[in-house]
Amino acid sequence: MKKIFAIMVLALVSVAALAQSGRDIYNKYSDEAGVSSVYVSPAMFRLIGKIPDIQMEDSQVNFSSIIKSMSGFYIVNSENPDIADMLYTDVKKFIQKGDFELLMEAKEDGQVMRMYTAGDDKTVTSFVMINKEESEVSFIAFDGKMNREELEVIIAEAAAD
Amino acid sequence: MKSIQEISKLSVEDLQRIGADESIPVPQDLKVSLPERRNVRVLSSIAAAAVVVIGLGWFGFDRLSQPKDTFSDPYLAYAAVEQALMKVSKNVNTAADRVAESEEIINKVNYWK
Repeated sequence: MKKIFAIMVLALVSVAALAQSGRDIYNKYSDEAGVSSVYVSPAMFRLIGKIPDIQMEDSQVNFSSIIKSMSGFYIVNSENPDIADMLYTDVKKFIQKGDFELLMEAKEDGQVMRMYTAGDDKTVTSFVMINKEESEVSFIAFDGKMNREELEVIIAEAAAD
Repeated sequence: MKSIQEISKLSVEDLQRIGADESIPVPQDLKVSLPERRNVRVLSSIAAAAVVVIGLGWFGFDRLSQPKDTFSDPYLAYAAVEQALMKVSKNVNTAADRVAESEEIINKVNYWK
């Protein structure tokens, strides 16, 4: 009997754990007024994986390999102060509940930018960036199986570009 | 397995019968039954059904909560993702600039010490 209850509790806990994702944040805010949002689904990433490598005119860095190893992508941006505050709080909760590690933090004159990754030493399974400046908050998150070194090198290369 | 105390309580006839490996007749009025395993089976079935229902419910919920793609063109989706990555890089650059500025200040302070 105890085993049965243990299995049921485990099943419920697993469901609750799965419910915490960037998608929940996207779903909560994407339809709100004063919010701009972008979602790229796993199906679209499968399509992207089939197209030839693209090199954007205004970019010296080739992001193709990283983009093709993604499986979900979310952007939520709001300049509405009330929504921005709620969004910032929800992202902080999402980060605390998840298995995220702080990659970078920068603060200046009330502006806060943090980047987090989840995964292991070799692979990044989730990336989150939250940027708060005055009344605007931007949330960028992507999931996939990305090579950690490659991701960090490409981002650093683009930064130096 | 009988304990020594139980064996010591047995009659000589019983001991002889056990020694001869004869079967002991079951009294007609004996009302003892084996533990009921049916309840456990029923509960297991209910639990299994509950897990399946939760699983199917979650799958359905997952499908319903799947947002709609912002772009229908993979090239546009790619461009949007790349722009976002450029924004991430820009923020890394800003953070790196702050580190460089801080290092410069620390170096100046150390120089005047």
